[in-house]
Amino acid sequence: MESMLVLAGEALLPSRIQMAFTLASHVLLVPLGVALPTLTLLMEGIGIWRKDPVALTIARRWSVVMAVQFAVGAVTGTILSFEFGILWPRMMGRFGAAFGLGFAIEGLAFFMEAIFISIYLYGWNRLRPRAHFLVGLTLPPAGLLGAFGVLSANAWMNTPGGVTIDSGRVVDVDVLQALFTRALGYEFWHFLIALYMTAGFVVASVYAVAWLRGRRDHYQRLAFAVPFTIAAALTPVQLLVGDLSARAIASDQPAKFAAVEITWTTRDHNPEVLGGYIDDSGEVHLGIAIPSLDSLLVGYSPNTVVRGLTSFAADSRPNTLEVNIVHLAFDVMVGLGSAGAALSAWFLWILLRRRRLPESRWFYRLAALSGIGSYVAVESGWITTEVGRQPWIVSGTLRVSDAVTDAPANFVWTSLIALVVIYALIAFFFVTLLIKLAERWRREDSGVAAAPEMGVPYGPRSVPGE
Amino acid sequence: MNDPLANASAFVLLLAITAYSTAGGVDFGAGIWDLFAGRGPQSRRPRELIDHAMAPVWEVNNVWLVLGIVLCWTGFPLLFQSVFAALYPLFTLALIGLILRGAFFAFRHIAADPRAHYAADLVFGLSSLLTPFFFAACLGAIASGRLAFDQMSVAFGLVSLAATAFSGASFLVGDARRYGFDDLVAYFRRRAILAGFVLITIGTLALGAIGLEAPALLRSMLAGVGLPFVLATMILTPLVMLLLWRRRYVWYRVLTVTGIGSMVFAWGFAQSPYLLPGQLTISQAAAPHSTQLLLLAVAAVLVLVIGPAMALLYYLDQRGALEPPEA
Repeated sequence: MESMLVLAGEALLPSRIQMAFTLASHVLLVPLGVALPTLTLLMEGIGIWRKDPVALTIARRWSVVMAVQFAVGAVTGTILSFEFGILWPRMMGRFGAAFGLGFAIEGLAFFMEAIFISIYLYGWNRLRPRAHFLVGLTLPPAGLLGAFGVLSANAWMNTPGGVTIDSGRVVDVDVLQALFTRALGYEFWHFLIALYMTAGFVVASVYAVAWLRGRRDHYQRLAFAVPFTIAAALTPVQLLVGDLSARAIASDQPAKFAAVEITWTTRDHNPEVLGGYIDDSGEVHLGIAIPSLDSLLVGYSPNTVVRGLTSFAADSRPNTLEVNIVHLAFDVMVGLGSAGAALSAWFLWILLRRRRLPESRWFYRLAALSGIGSYVAVESGWITTEVGRQPWIVSGTLRVSDAVTDAPANFVWTSLIALVVIYALIAFFFVTLLIKLAERWRREDSGVAAAPEMGVPYGPRSVPGE
Repeated sequence: MNDPLANASAFVLLLAITAYSTAGGVDFGAGIWDLFAGRGPQSRRPRELIDHAMAPVWEVNNVWLVLGIVLCWTGFPLLFQSVFAALYPLFTLALIGLILRGAFFAFRHIAADPRAHYAADLVFGLSSLLTPFFFAACLGAIASGRLAFDQMSVAFGLVSLAATAFSGASFLVGDARRYGFDDLVAYFRRRAILAGFVLITIGTLALGAIGLEAPALLRSMLAGVGLPFVLATMILTPLVMLLLWRRRYVWYRVLTVTGIGSMVFAWGFAQSPYLLPGQLTISQAAAPHSTQLLLLAVAAVLVLVIGPAMALLYYLDQRGALEPPEA
């Protein structure tokens, strides 16, 4: 019996690594996938209504990046949906009827995006400008709907609801309750804003590099200013939403919150620990502790009692390693968010007070890093919410170890290695393609013209056989 | 026990599988012909046409796959669990083929070195065989009710390869005609007819295999609800071949899709009311009614929104309105 249990658990570690790896890869494609269409449309709108051909060129180039990204995201997303079955069949068998609802909506959104991106990309030349713009208007809501679906499913794992369970089987589902669980409110807004901020910073960082390399024309200014302004304007909103989310997590998902703040015992006057780590006996090493700040943040009073990790059974809360990962990830996310806020304040100050873009080299150096910083922040956020839920796959209801496949560990290790190799190849091809595009567009800007989509695997046809 | 909502969801699931088999099949079929195009200079033109035909739908067919998966785990969680718990190796192989194919289709556009280009062609072509074979093998393992990789899986896998090669060639004839490349029309016409013969042969053998392995399934395919669809496939496949043989280029693509779709329907209807023959019926595996209702609502929205959008895309595409202007 003992050995049976061990055998069943063998695939657990590689399964968790594989899920973490494929999810972490896919999440990198999400910000541009959801938010780039909006930036592109904004640019196209500027081009149409201000009669600015440069803005139209920028929009058209972004749409190509959008489509190539979509194709890569379609593959990594398909992999993820199969992994639910390959790695976690018991989770789906037990809770698919409720957990799957969000994905059904996401499936619909994915479909709409696929079709309208095709029309949008192929329609640049032959649809009238306004008709083309109208086609594009379907993309932001489709991205929004997709994000809603996935976050609804994730929120359900964090704060499950809307199901009636009888002897282990879901016998009834309240669709609305299952779609809109407690965590959805904050997860959705926090992540949606993060996506738009990230897309803004990432796109702008490309043109910050161009500025540093000496390009100072209308093209560079426009392509930098529009996305950066959006990201900068959203940053203070995110600080507020992030703060509200943390407070909601303290009451909805107290074990996760205890891990975030490395709080060992339940207490008032709980300090906020920046950095540092906790050991198995609950002692905090390194790190800067700010007295009572955590209690103050949670309940606006130093007397607020914050639950500690020891108030949960040892096998029902994240282990020490997981706690430290969560704490570090959270600190990285907040740290990067604050850095982004400072950079945004600098930008907005100059924009609003002096009615121009910054001219400091240091500003553009930091702006060039803001894209990578945003990706790291998004990853950290996901790590916080996913690792912070351990050892549960459905919070308080189903353990990760009870949901995992019976497949032999070697099988999962092998598929994990294969996936890592193939994903590395895809990343290499993807980046090479983007670099080639960028080179060609630079060449075009210095003279020769051609449609930006030509020669891209996801692009209109060149005439074959010529 | 009859359950109209669950039956409707099961039908939508069958539609998603059918859509992937037909639309995805054309795409995989093009990949198979890419593999068989060879290596020398004579392979250049067919390969360019294949590239050209695939580019607009690159990875878009995954929407059907994702839709099917999501319908399955949400609408029929027990089916999903048993199928994946047993068949995960087959799904993994199909998936690996799927990503390799997408990645190397992109890569051959950026590979400058001829050897790297050739390697990309090879991986792309081989993975075009791998994925349809193993996806169909899963359906075979389901159809036998045994959830194991056996003769039924192999039979289904081989039929799918022949069917995708057939539909791929049939559609490439259409693409070649649009650009007026008479040599390529002839090239793919010959291959479509050849693939048709192979499909008929393998299909007949597969019926024999089904008769040996799952006689109940064969009975309802030949003397039950599956019959009209079996007949449709048996009539339409030779008809498409005849049309191409006589160079009557009308309706051949629609009839190809209808023929392949009928094949999937023949299997799906023949095994109803079972999702897993002998083990799990539609109503046993079905999620609660509220969940089924949401799935059907999603399907309805899909038809309402996607229908006109697809029509627009098809219309623009056929009119050539999506082509870039002559440089």
